[in-house]
Amino acid sequence: MAESPRSSPRSRQLLLRIRRGLFASPLDTLITVVLAVVCGGGLWNLFHWAFLQADWAVVLSNVRLYFNGNFPVSQIWRSWSWLGLLGALCILTLMPSRLLPPVVVRLLPLLWVLILPIGLLLLASGLGLEPVKSRFWGGLQLSLLLTLGTILMSLPLGILMALARRSSLPLLRWLTTGYIELMRGMPLIAVLFFGQLMIPLFLPEGWTLNRVLRAVLSLGFFMAAYMAEDVRGGLQSIPKTQLEAARSLGLSPLLTVALVELPQALRTALPALANQCVASMQNTSLLAYLGLIELLGISRSILANPDYLGRHLEVYIWLALLYWAVCILMTSLARRLERTLKVNGHH
Amino acid sequence: MSPEPLASGRPPGQRRRLLLILLQVAIGLLVLGVVALLVSNLQVNLVRRGLELSFDWLGRPARFPLPRGLLSYRTDDSYAWAFVVGFVNSLQVVVMGLVLATVLGVIGGAASFSKNWLLRQLANLYVAVARNVPPLLHLLFWYVVVFLGMPAARNGVETLAGWLRLPISVEFMALLIGLTVYTGAYISEVVRGGINSVPRGQWEAARSLGFGEGRTLRLIILPQALRAILPGLNSQYINLAKNSTLAIAVGYSDIFSIANTTFTQTGRSIEAFALLVAGFLAVDLLISGAMNVLNRLVLRHG
Repeated sequence: MAESPRSSPRSRQLLLRIRRGLFASPLDTLITVVLAVVCGGGLWNLFHWAFLQADWAVVLSNVRLYFNGNFPVSQIWRSWSWLGLLGALCILTLMPSRLLPPVVVRLLPLLWVLILPIGLLLLASGLGLEPVKSRFWGGLQLSLLLTLGTILMSLPLGILMALARRSSLPLLRWLTTGYIELMRGMPLIAVLFFGQLMIPLFLPEGWTLNRVLRAVLSLGFFMAAYMAEDVRGGLQSIPKTQLEAARSLGLSPLLTVALVELPQALRTALPALANQCVASMQNTSLLAYLGLIELLGISRSILANPDYLGRHLEVYIWLALLYWAVCILMTSLARRLERTLKVNGHH
Repeated sequence: MSPEPLASGRPPGQRRRLLLILLQVAIGLLVLGVVALLVSNLQVNLVRRGLELSFDWLGRPARFPLPRGLLSYRTDDSYAWAFVVGFVNSLQVVVMGLVLATVLGVIGGAASFSKNWLLRQLANLYVAVARNVPPLLHLLFWYVVVFLGMPAARNGVETLAGWLRLPISVEFMALLIGLTVYTGAYISEVVRGGINSVPRGQWEAARSLGFGEGRTLRLIILPQALRAILPGLNSQYINLAKNSTLAIAVGYSDIFSIANTTFTQTGRSIEAFALLVAGFLAVDLLISGAMNVLNRLVLRHG
C-alpha cells in the first residue's frame, strides 16, 4: 500500500494543501464552487467574445494613432524615436546595475531629467527640424509627455512647500497650509477646467500659453499639493536626534535640511511619491474632456469614426491594458529606485 | 556715551526676530503683488469681454434641460436653482457611493485574509486591476459597454428605479457602480492594512476560544482594526467625492456639469468656478465632520 503512487507523501501533501485551501468546511466548499463557476463562466464568455465576436481592427489598424496621435506622418520618426529613447531608458534603469558600466549608472538620474527637454526638442522643433504645433501631439506620447512634465514640476514644488509648511515663519506656514488644503479639497477636473479656460484670463493682453503647457501647469500645481503632504510625512518621521546631531556637528540650518533631513525624508516618502506619480499618469486621461487628444482623447475620436461603430469594449480593454502596463512599469521603476537607495543608505 | 553701541549691541535673539519679521513682510508683499497683478490682468480681460464680475445672472432662468432628479426642476427655473439641483445630485451619488464602496472594500479587504485560496487570489486580482486603470475608464466601461450595450442591464435599472421609487437613471447607475468599484479597491487596501495592524495573537486567541473564521473577523478583528482604518477611509471618501465630478463622462448632471453648462451659456467662468469651489468645500467639510464624529465614537468605545 505504501508504495502505491496515490499515497506517496508528496502527492498526499498536495491533496491536503488543496483540501485545506479550498474545501476546509462545507461553507468553504460552497464558496469555492460558486466562485469557480462564476469565474469559469466569465472567462469562457470573455474568450468566446475576444476570439469570435470582437473585431480588433479598431485597435490593430490605428496603432499609430494610439501611440503618436495626429503627428504628421512625414515626421513620425521623431515621435517614435522619443518613445524609443524613453523605452530604452526604462530598460537601462531596470537592468541589474552590475551589467552596466558605472558611468551609465551614475548618469541615469540626469538622463531621466533630460528626457523631457529632449522630447520637447524632438516633438516641437529645434535642431533644424520642421516645427510641429502642439495641437498635433497626441496619443500615448502626449500622455507620457504630460506625466513627465507634471512629475518634474510637482516634485520640486512639493518639496519646497513641505519645507515651507514646517517653516518657523508663521506667514509662510499659513500660506502653504491654505494652498495645500484648498488644492487637496478640489476635484482635479475643476482644476484642469480652471487651467484650460481661465488661465488665459489672468495673463496680460497678448500673452498666450499653449494647451499642453496649461495642462502641465494645472496638473503640476495640483499634484504638488499631494507631493508636499507625502514629503511632510517623510520629514516628520525623522527622529529628533538626527537634528541634534547635525547641530552639534555645526551644520547650518540650510545644510541640515539639504544633507540630513531631505535625503532621509525622500527615502521614507518614496513609495507614497511613486503612487502619486502613477496617479498623475492616470490623471492625464481627464484632459480628454478638455480638448486634448491624449490616449483617451484620441480613442474617443477613433470611436467616433462610423467604421468602428460600437467597438467600445475592444478599445477600452486595449486602453486598460496600455494604462495598466505603463502604471506597472512606473511602479517597478520606483521599486528599483527604492532598492538602490536602500543599498546606498546602509553604506 | 553715544547710543551707537547700544543699537549694535542688541541681543542676537532680538535681531534674529526682527530679521524674521522683515522676511515675512517681504513674502507677504511678494504674494500680494503677484495676486494684485493677476487680478488687474483679470479685470482688464473681463472688461474687454464685457463680463465684469457679478452674480446677478444667477436669478435669470437657466433654460437648459436636466434629467429628472431628487429635486424638481423646470427649464424656466433660475441658474441658482440649477446649481442647487446639481449639488443635491452630487450628494446623492456620493452618499450612496460611500456606503456601497465601504461594503465592497470591507469584503475585499477581509477576503484577502481568507483561508480559501481562490477567494484570496480573486480579492488580490480585483485590487490590482481596479487600481491600475484610470477611474474614467471604469465609468466609460460601465456606461457604454454595460448599460448602453446590454439591454438587460438597462431594464434592470428601470426595474430597480420603480422598486425603490427613486429617480435612478442609467447614467446615475454607471457613475455609482464605477465609483464604487474603483474606490472599493482602495478601501480594500485600507481595510487590509487595518487588519494587518491587529496583532496575530488576537487571531490565535479567538481560535483557541472556539470562534470560527467569520466570527473572529466580525467580532474580534474588525472592531480593533477600525481605529487604524478610519483615517484612511476619510481620505478615500473625499477622493470618491472628488471623483464624482467625472460624471461629465457619462452625462450625469452633477454640480460640475452644471457649472460647465453655465459657463458655456453665459461665459461666466470665474463665478461658476467660485460656486463649484464653494460646493466642494462644503462636501469635504461634511465628510470630514462626519468622520471626525465617528472617529471620536470609536475611540471612546475602544
